[in-house]
Amino acid sequence: MIPRALLGHFLLTLQLNFRSKQALVYGYFVPFFFLIAFGSVFHSERPLLLHQMGQLLTLTALGGACFGLPTGIVAERERGVWRRYQLLPVGTLSLLLSTLLARVVIVTSAAFLQVALARAIYGTPWPLHPGETALAFLVVTGAFLGLGLLIASLADDVPAVQALGQCLFLPMIMIGGVGVPLGLLPAWAQQIAGFMPGRYAVELLQLSISEPRGLGHSSFAFLALAVIGLAAAVVGVKLFRWDGARRLGRAGMAWVATALLAWIAVGAAAAATGNLRSRLLAGTGYEAITPEQIASIRYDDLPGDDELYTRLAPPFKTPERPGRLGEIATRFKTWPPGQVDDPEQRARNLLSIAAIADVNQDLLEGEIARVVFDQLQENFSSDELKKILAHIALAPNDGKVITQAREFGLKREILEKAVRERSMYYAKKLLGRLVGKIAE
Amino acid sequence: MAAPPLAPLRLRALTKRYGAVEALRGVSFEVASGEIFGLLGPNGAGKTTTVECILGLRRPDSGEIFLGEIDALAHPEAAKQRLGAQIQSASLQDLITPRQALKLFASFYCQAAPVERLIEQFALGEKADAPFASLSGGQKQRLFLALAFVNQPSVLLLDEPTVGLDPRARRELHHTILGLRAAGRAVLLSTHYLDEAEQLCDRIGIIDSGRIIAVGTPAELVARSTALPRVSVRTTRALPAAVLAELRNVAVLNQAETTCLLATPDPQPTLAALVKTLPLHGIDILDLRVQQPSLEDVFLELTGRMYSSHGDKPEASP
Repeated sequence: MIPRALLGHFLLTLQLNFRSKQALVYGYFVPFFFLIAFGSVFHSERPLLLHQMGQLLTLTALGGACFGLPTGIVAERERGVWRRYQLLPVGTLSLLLSTLLARVVIVTSAAFLQVALARAIYGTPWPLHPGETALAFLVVTGAFLGLGLLIASLADDVPAVQALGQCLFLPMIMIGGVGVPLGLLPAWAQQIAGFMPGRYAVELLQLSISEPRGLGHSSFAFLALAVIGLAAAVVGVKLFRWDGARRLGRAGMAWVATALLAWIAVGAAAAATGNLRSRLLAGTGYEAITPEQIASIRYDDLPGDDELYTRLAPPFKTPERPGRLGEIATRFKTWPPGQVDDPEQRARNLLSIAAIADVNQDLLEGEIARVVFDQLQENFSSDELKKILAHIALAPNDGKVITQAREFGLKREILEKAVRERSMYYAKKLLGRLVGKIAE
Repeated sequence: MAAPPLAPLRLRALTKRYGAVEALRGVSFEVASGEIFGLLGPNGAGKTTTVECILGLRRPDSGEIFLGEIDALAHPEAAKQRLGAQIQSASLQDLITPRQALKLFASFYCQAAPVERLIEQFALGEKADAPFASLSGGQKQRLFLALAFVNQPSVLLLDEPTVGLDPRARRELHHTILGLRAAGRAVLLSTHYLDEAEQLCDRIGIIDSGRIIAVGTPAELVARSTALPRVSVRTTRALPAAVLAELRNVAVLNQAETTCLLATPDPQPTLAALVKTLPLHGIDILDLRVQQPSLEDVFLELTGRMYSSHGDKPEASP
């Protein structure tokens, strides 16, 4: 009986939302406004808005969860609706749960509308991995709803919801990678963004929308959102007030501090695990790489040169390369992908050979990688090579890679994802040596 | 011989403290089936805290609350199945309709009254599908009463149900509350209106500073009072001292220009004397009334303070 009643409450919450002009404006018109605004700002990109959909959907989830949800709850509490609910033979938590589920439906429908309108108005492609996009959106919405619940518990009235909501919303918009793309932010802001859930929300959504590799290797972002969202939700439920006249005491503020600690823990964990790497704006060339961005790259996650992955032989003692290695070095001089005009693409093509040899477990994999390093150093000046390698390390999914190289005696075709990952490692191994952070 | 049935609502020695303030200091009473029990006291006396403890909105520091055989403190959700309530400062969403609200609230209870019957019983048919915001004050109160009745409760708690209502709506609500008694419900009516308590309640508990200081029928309570009946007379001229001196067994409580308030154990001879004497002094009577002792007098005697519906101290909250 109680589940049926909660279903009734869930459906009624939806009905009342769709009857409210104010809720419709904030829930659907504002996301549409953001879509048009982003379409105008990024009008020169092709495909239009493909690389901004993660930000747009994050904005929609953030608005619905951190403003829509607490505004609704606090307005009802101010009127005494929750005081009346408290007389029902059901726990407050159950009613909160049905309220949250209704909000998930509202926010998800707004996001779906946004994706559909982006497609209709700007021809933005559908997400590459729709299932993963749905999963990522639910995780993002869940985390933000936790924050929204905390705001609802803290705010005494609706103006206080607006004030607290802005305290979360504005920093995430400005320096959290949600409004202003992370790649446009200075390195210090990108570091701060690592303490905010918005960055991880955009990352997850964008990976599922536009990146061929999808959500693979994004477990930290999932974890970050789960930790921040759960901590906020638990504290929000703990401090929930059905009667606005009841005030939070000192114990309440201690609980709030606990929820905020989750943000600090996530940021610290990101820093400790190399997840605070600087990000580059999609499509930005290696020329834009700054010394700070090169300095921000970490090398402690690299496999050793003698380990199973990304083996690397010591430098050759003489200029001559014996046997097959000599043939490979000679072939590089005329190999068409090694001669393309775009310097970064040329470097990616050369690193692809090292990556293919590595995944093929070629007997000379370490030596082939060393020949590739020599070829790269011969091809580019040290400064240019540092920027190119840094760009490959920071944006491993940019440009193209080669997945098959039979002309070098490497028989097996390799998955693009593996080539990109190994190329990135090799780029970092060479860059580390060039900047003196890795010893030979 | 069979034991008498348990009263549907029983409170034993409830205490509640908010910091240094003792809001309830051993409140005990019972409400029987088919009885309207009035909890009467000024604001801040402990009425709302008592009601909120029964409803499970606050937990008393000590004491017992039973709804029939159910221990409400140990099993609050089972107790709520039997309890209907209309409380202060509770409301509904602007856009919800009475029918939707009744359906939603009914769905939470094991034994729900048919929604259509409630709409008819509480005269909400005309506005059943209108937004809550468009309902008049009386219609809103009737809806809250219907919501309190949605689980066909054995005990009804009504906390200041007529506050803010116009006289007509108040009369209608009184009629409805009397109907609940006729239907055999135990009704706890918390009010600070003395006339309302006197008019509706079978028994009244007077609460002051967190204690029940007297319990009884309105007549019993008034009978316990030592206050004298009062005679109020308004005349064309002020009453001369000589006239007042001629009246026997009369004490002058107040005399202000043409109005005089007299206390007497026997109003009949006083009335006769006034009617006979005043024309002889060329004074016409404009108004002549007898006031019997009231609950207000009872309160004054019990507490030593004048009853004020606004109270002399606010009820504490955490």
